Amino acid sequence: MNNKETHFLQLIRENKGILFKISKIYQDDPEDRDDLLQEMILQLWLAFDGYRGDSKFSTWMYRVALNTAIAFFKKQKRRSDSEQIPYQFERAEELSSSDEKEEQLALFYRAIQELNKVEKALIYLYMEDMPYGEIASNLGISEINVRVRLNRIKTRLKEIVKKFEQ
Amino acid sequence: MNIDDLKGAWGKDEPMGMKIPVSTAVLGKTSSAVARIRKNMKTEFIAVLVSYTMFTALMFYGIQSALFFNVASIFMFVIIVLNGFYYFRFYVFYKSISQYDLNMRNSIGKIAYELELNAEIYKTYNFCVTPLAVIISFVLLCGNKGLGFMHYVLASKAFISPWNLLIAFAVILISFIITYICINHHIRTQYGKHITELKQVVDDLGDEG
Repeated sequence: MNNKETHFLQLIRENKGILFKISKIYQDDPEDRDDLLQEMILQLWLAFDGYRGDSKFSTWMYRVALNTAIAFFKKQKRRSDSEQIPYQFERAEELSSSDEKEEQLALFYRAIQELNKVEKALIYLYMEDMPYGEIASNLGISEINVRVRLNRIKTRLKEIVKKFEQ
Repeated sequence: MNIDDLKGAWGKDEPMGMKIPVSTAVLGKTSSAVARIRKNMKTEFIAVLVSYTMFTALMFYGIQSALFFNVASIFMFVIIVLNGFYYFRFYVFYKSISQYDLNMRNSIGKIAYELELNAEIYKTYNFCVTPLAVIISFVLLCGNKGLGFMHYVLASKAFISPWNLLIAFAVILISFIITYICINHHIRTQYGKHITELKQVVDDLGDEG
């Protein structure tokens, strides 16, 4: 293994949380999630020569990983939708005895599955505490648009959660 | 639920048991729309090379008529030129496509546009090549009986009548329509969903400059 590869894998290990959460919000099936994870690492590796170090590695990684997740298409369904147990349901059950915040987070992940791909990217970057200007630059839309859309998404997520709780 | 209050729990949500490859060599083939089409095209390219080799061998060892050898050669050259153009265009497309480090609008917009453009080129290419390929296959695979039949049809005076010419034209037209329907169906089932989904993402991003 050469220095470049070692350095790359080290950076991936340090920022694996980014890949973990993106795969979690874009794919609800654990096997699809693994496929997406592998796809993101591969695309990051293929694009690594283009990373000049002008910005933080994580900033560059957000961009490549999100674009990969959006252009990723799951393999043929392994199970029919009716047989499929959403991961978030499993989490919610696991966390039934855990603290309230974690339960809410599990519910939040479940609600995110109802959003479209762009909305998922917006709420993901917002949750990662990325400034509005950077979110706008990553998506190629204006900062005002980011603010407006995020407000709408938050309202929608609250409604979805309410629906789940009923 | 207050979403802002969840940021703390979100930050603590760590990847438990997530496996990172120990080497980039273990990264497998990808499942992206582009990668999937690339794989399909590679398979098609290999199939085309194998079939050309077989056709060339058949032309030299199977055809005993100089007329049909010459006609088949002309068709083969036309198909090879069309194939060459198409595969060159696709090669250029793949070399330029893996730009996931642009912003989402540019990156996804570029992929969606290139996929759609190449799907159209693929349709046109197949539309031109399929009828020629069917004729060559017929001549080569049917052997001397097929050659005899083709010779009879081409030398026949039956076409020298407006009505018969119209029938011949209708038969050719129908065969082109069937080819077009089959190609369209193939594109729609193989790539249509991917293209629609990517275009939807671009639409969702809106019309900002």
